[in-house]
Amino acid sequence: MGQNTRGKERAGWHKEGGTGVMQILQAAFPAGRPPGKRRDRWWMAVMPFYLFTVFFVALPMVYLLVLSFLTRARAWGVVNEFTLDNYLRIAKPVYLNTFKESFQMAVLTTIGTLLAGYPFGYFMARLPKRAKSLMMLLVVIPFWTSALMRMYGWIIIFRSNGLLDKLLMGVGLTDSPLKLLYSYPAVLVGMVYSLLPFMILSVYSSTDKMDWGLVEAARDLGATKWEAFFTITMKLTLPGILSGIVLVFIPSMGLFFIADILGGGKVMLVGNLIQNQLQSGRDWPFAAALSVVLMMFTSVMIWIYRKVAGVKDLEGLL
Amino acid sequence: MKKASGFFAILTAAALTAASLSGCGGGEGGAKAPAQAQDGSKDVKGDPGELNIYTWAEYVPRDVISRFEDETGIRVNYTNFEANEEMLAKLETSKGGDYDIIIASDYIIKVAADEGLVKELDKEKLPNFKNIDPVFQNFFYDPENTLTVPYGPGIPLLVYDPSVVTCQVTGYESLWDPSLKDSLALMDSERVVMGMALKAMGESFNTEDLDVIQAAGEKLMGLAPNVRVLSQNQTQDYLLSGEVGAAFLFTSQVALALSQNPDLQVVYPKEGLGFGVDAAFIPSQAPNSDNAHAFLNFILDGEIGAQVTQQTYYLCPNQASYEFLDEEFKKSLVISTDDIPNGEFIQDVGPEATALHGELWTKFKAALD
Repeated sequence: MGQNTRGKERAGWHKEGGTGVMQILQAAFPAGRPPGKRRDRWWMAVMPFYLFTVFFVALPMVYLLVLSFLTRARAWGVVNEFTLDNYLRIAKPVYLNTFKESFQMAVLTTIGTLLAGYPFGYFMARLPKRAKSLMMLLVVIPFWTSALMRMYGWIIIFRSNGLLDKLLMGVGLTDSPLKLLYSYPAVLVGMVYSLLPFMILSVYSSTDKMDWGLVEAARDLGATKWEAFFTITMKLTLPGILSGIVLVFIPSMGLFFIADILGGGKVMLVGNLIQNQLQSGRDWPFAAALSVVLMMFTSVMIWIYRKVAGVKDLEGLL
Repeated sequence: MKKASGFFAILTAAALTAASLSGCGGGEGGAKAPAQAQDGSKDVKGDPGELNIYTWAEYVPRDVISRFEDETGIRVNYTNFEANEEMLAKLETSKGGDYDIIIASDYIIKVAADEGLVKELDKEKLPNFKNIDPVFQNFFYDPENTLTVPYGPGIPLLVYDPSVVTCQVTGYESLWDPSLKDSLALMDSERVVMGMALKAMGESFNTEDLDVIQAAGEKLMGLAPNVRVLSQNQTQDYLLSGEVGAAFLFTSQVALALSQNPDLQVVYPKEGLGFGVDAAFIPSQAPNSDNAHAFLNFILDGEIGAQVTQQTYYLCPNQASYEFLDEEFKKSLVISTDDIPNGEFIQDVGPEATALHGELWTKFKAALD
């Protein structure tokens, strides 16, 4: 699409949408440059997004932060008394341990998705075009159903005398039902399963636009298949691996419903702890403090990612 | 990665939307219902308006609601919550408005009443109020019986499968038996499970003595190897499917378990019973208070009350309903109301005790997996 037509489109959009809100915005933020340069008004298209961010992201975060320094009321709610107790409580071994458990789970989940997702994404990128789009569709389809429903699917597979048990007994590997469900490994499988698409698609997109000529050149120069893979392919798909790691690691720190459903309520991650404090604990300030610490922790992880990957902004993530 | 960025943004957005929708589904329904209600409750001549019920999913049987709608012409909007605390948070935000009937648990009604969010019942409009069995009245959350109508009372009990369990189960203490390793289903509720340890020590559920609570927490750690699953809903299924050998179940779950496997054994814990009541109340600023009274009077009718009890599987708080209960159902009612006076409610304890419960519970869960 040429620059001209885009300019026209934008102008047209501007005229039609330029009533009410837009006029107010124009009055409030007069363009710095002469009105002839339409490019200056481009930010207006971004305005709704900024407003959305302010109201639905920034303000709730401020609320959360303020809440985390208040005191819980005796029976219900909070009282406006400043305290640091909520943060001091997190330092107790029992709560630090929850963070450790979550971290461990997130690391294992990330390793799991990487082991399963890298080969998947890699080979998907090498498929012919039609097969590629079909695979893409199959990877994305699970997103169309409730994650909760998909977890119940795992219950059917894992439960006593369930699909897997029957299969193993039928084959003769085991002679009595295994207690597979409601365990740490069951939760891990659920986590890996639900976050796998993020890894697959990250790896896929960086493999897809890789210059295969480089691999061929390496092979021509005498590298074995594996040498070529480790020196060329791995390096070139590293951005995909790294963004996949971030996309998997960050959500897995906070997910709690998988631990509840497949862990039978026995695995307590930070997310479960926050939920528990909000509900039966009725301690909103403590829950807020836990959330703030969790967010700080994930922010540090993103910061490390930026250092390692050498990207200046988070765009590289996506 | 540039090309894929739009795609990822959409994917992430979709995932986030899905997550927020699943989390707040009830919320949206809740916000929508009252808006309609305000339109509906305008006194259009001959239009009986609406009624907004807020409780757990499927807690008021559908046929009871349809019958109420048919008989009165009132349109019912049913909104559900997952947890009592979620209900109270929403009720507080709406300052006691938005909903006309709320059915929730005893302890949370106490908090709501103390916050002034519960409306006093107009007994003139409730001729059937006299049908309530007095055994289910005069409780801590409503000592004068001016605020609530009991809906689902029950005593949680131990149920075990004698074909699997080899030890003698007589009370909470029996659950610590090593032969029950990895074969218990308990409620995913800190106060209930901590309460079992407290009772086993001969203490009250509601002690605020931090040393006693601490000791109960330590005792509870010994139970960890025996716990197979913690669950609030459909816990009887774990027992029926053979996933566990013994379970601590709500009254409704006990009845459902027995109806499917009559060989299961029910134990009244010798250390003392728990007791709980889910009751209905009208919020202080209910938009359709008259319709709410009409509904309460409707479910207090003998025949309707029986219809409710036979589908919720809780104890029947309605004396007039007894004659309407099916014979078969009377048999599956395993709890005699004689036990009610021995049951202890789980009530609110102070912030220090609550915080300690939470901490010990977190520790217990960490020892489970």
